[in-house]
Amino acid sequence: MNKVLIIIKREYLVRVRTRAFLISTIVTPLLMLALIIVPIFFATRGGGDRHVTVLDASGDAELFDAINRSLQARAGFGGESDRRDELLGQTRYTLTRRVVATSDDLEALKLEYQERAAKDPDSTYLVLRGDGLDNITPEYYAKNTSDFSIDTLERAINDAVSTLRLKRAGLNQSQIAAYTRRVNLKTNKITASGEVREGGRADFVVAFIMLFFIYISVLLYGMFVMRGVIEEKTSRIVEIVISSVKPAQMMLGKVIGIGLVGLTQIGLWALSAFLLTTVGVSSFSSRGVPMPSVPLSLLVYFVVFFVLGYFLFATLYALVGSTVSSEEEAQQAQMPVTMLLVVPMLIFNMIIANPTSSASVAVSMVPFFAPTLMMMRIAVVNPPLWQILGSIAIMLATILGCVWIAARIYRVGILMYGKRPSIAELGRWLRYS
Amino acid sequence: MNVIELRNVTKRFDEFVAVRDLSFEVRQGAIFGLLGPNGAGKTTTIRMIVNIFAPDEGEVVVMGEHVSPELQSRIGYLPEERGLYKKMKIGDQLLFFANLKGLKSAEASTRVDDWLDRLELSDWKNKKPSDLSKGMQQKIQFIASVIHDPDVLIFDEPFTGLDPVSANLLKSVILDLKKRGKTVIFSTHQMEQVEQICDDICLINHATRVLSGGLKEVKRRYGKNTVILDYEGPDSFLADDLVKRHNRFPNYSEILLADGADAQEVLKRALAAGARVNRFELVEPSLNEIFIETVTGKDLGAHAARVPNTE
Repeated sequence: MNKVLIIIKREYLVRVRTRAFLISTIVTPLLMLALIIVPIFFATRGGGDRHVTVLDASGDAELFDAINRSLQARAGFGGESDRRDELLGQTRYTLTRRVVATSDDLEALKLEYQERAAKDPDSTYLVLRGDGLDNITPEYYAKNTSDFSIDTLERAINDAVSTLRLKRAGLNQSQIAAYTRRVNLKTNKITASGEVREGGRADFVVAFIMLFFIYISVLLYGMFVMRGVIEEKTSRIVEIVISSVKPAQMMLGKVIGIGLVGLTQIGLWALSAFLLTTVGVSSFSSRGVPMPSVPLSLLVYFVVFFVLGYFLFATLYALVGSTVSSEEEAQQAQMPVTMLLVVPMLIFNMIIANPTSSASVAVSMVPFFAPTLMMMRIAVVNPPLWQILGSIAIMLATILGCVWIAARIYRVGILMYGKRPSIAELGRWLRYS
Repeated sequence: MNVIELRNVTKRFDEFVAVRDLSFEVRQGAIFGLLGPNGAGKTTTIRMIVNIFAPDEGEVVVMGEHVSPELQSRIGYLPEERGLYKKMKIGDQLLFFANLKGLKSAEASTRVDDWLDRLELSDWKNKKPSDLSKGMQQKIQFIASVIHDPDVLIFDEPFTGLDPVSANLLKSVILDLKKRGKTVIFSTHQMEQVEQICDDICLINHATRVLSGGLKEVKRRYGKNTVILDYEGPDSFLADDLVKRHNRFPNYSEILLADGADAQEVLKRALAAGARVNRFELVEPSLNEIFIETVTGKDLGAHAARVPNTE
């Protein structure tokens, strides 16, 4: 055991001390942060000011005023606006009314503004025809119409029109405000143990982040293991080491050592994420951006599934590394193992759409898929405990089997150079004394 | 006393028999040459002694015990296929290997400094292998095999790639180890080195032992059947039924006599052919000659037909 510790120590220190480790540890969270912040920043700030000329042929001055008022109310997060507007409605609209008399040629005016808009992306226009409040069909023309903030405009017009309709039906201002108050749907999730807690969309975000994170980290650190084994082979260091320790100890030491590097890095990331969320992201929360609250049990599962998944795949990658003589050969040889890791990424959509179907349950119990898919199901639906423990047990059993096989292949493979062994040869290696 | 004993050891890989029914002993304090052509089974044999492979049949006994992980720390092994970690400082690597052999870090650290000093590599302690020449790396690997002061040392081609000065330095270290009672197994293709430092030899070919015993005794077995002739003049007399084979070197010829041929007769014919003889000496065959003859299966002389059995 002592010798395994010595190997672990070497594998760990030699990697943690590198500049690459330092850089990836610092840069990755910054990148992630940027990935989260930048879209939110643009979604909330990005719109900027937009000038809209209203070609008003409705002959209804009150309508324009109502739309204008409704838009200004939204811009300040005030009043009756809903949460989506808070998130997306940062574009500031400035409306200018151009009254179109019945004698004017609306089509000619439209053409004129069309040309202007074609040259200037900030120049947009809204056409209100004289169809009356009941049949009104406003038309919006702009160079960029894929903007989320158009939602805001639509809502503002809707609010303005319905408010105006109610007013003309004889209701006063306070009645209108009371009757049109928005209702927010509160989503509640029933957990396996029957508790009810707030949930919804945020759960999917968490599930997806965890799925992706396990996939990336297991792949990344599994590859480190494989490359480490190949390096020891190509630099001809193995024989010196295994004249002191058993090959299985050498392999185990490497897998554990590199796994600890992974945990260190993830630990540092989690810490920085925690600091960032408490300091930085809370400001998003206060502005209505849904920030997922992650229960502690989910984090524990995350660590458990990462560790199990890493062990399972790192062992297989070590096996692959021991059977090849160069990185180039490894590229081909590692495909079957990597496929096992990629398959869940191809089918997780189907699982997330129907996480409790028997097919989903079955697939998530497959040991090679469980680290990603069972983890995702835990984040989304809280599967029964027997499924979680069952998948953990299956993974543990598979890990034991893989370690046994990998150790036997490894001890022969690391001393073999030249031609890559066939499957039949690998089978015979298992039986060498 | 025998420090290492192989008793009827066989090792197979699938259909291929790497070592067949091999037995030999290595005496305490001796330098033992394990010889043989490429693919004869030397490395497999050594790997069984250092517990990398287990024999399929027979037993390997080191210092009275069957090989085990515990015994590994009393053996030092410099494999033919050897290297260093590319991204690790020399001093750290040596500490790592010393730790693996069970040395505590404080003790290991002193010894690393001592050995680096002894092999004139102290300046390189904090460098990485990429900064070192191949010969220097080789010396570092040598240190890794002796750092834990083992009782048994196994060196597989320790001198390849070394300049003569470094080779001599290493040779003196090995002889010094022998002086301190260490047992050394030495595997190489360079027969001159074997003649210089080995006490006993075992030659294996095609997985089996073909020759073994004390170096002097083995050579004596062949008798003085070789003529060293330093001459100037024509070579025609060499194509003669008295000469079985000859090696023409720039300064002299090594002539292997045919069975029952008289050395004096060769001299006469050389003179008759018009050669001017500067040196004429009747000697035992070189180990190189014995190696080639044994491995290629050609008869060296009447005595060589009997493969000696030390048991």
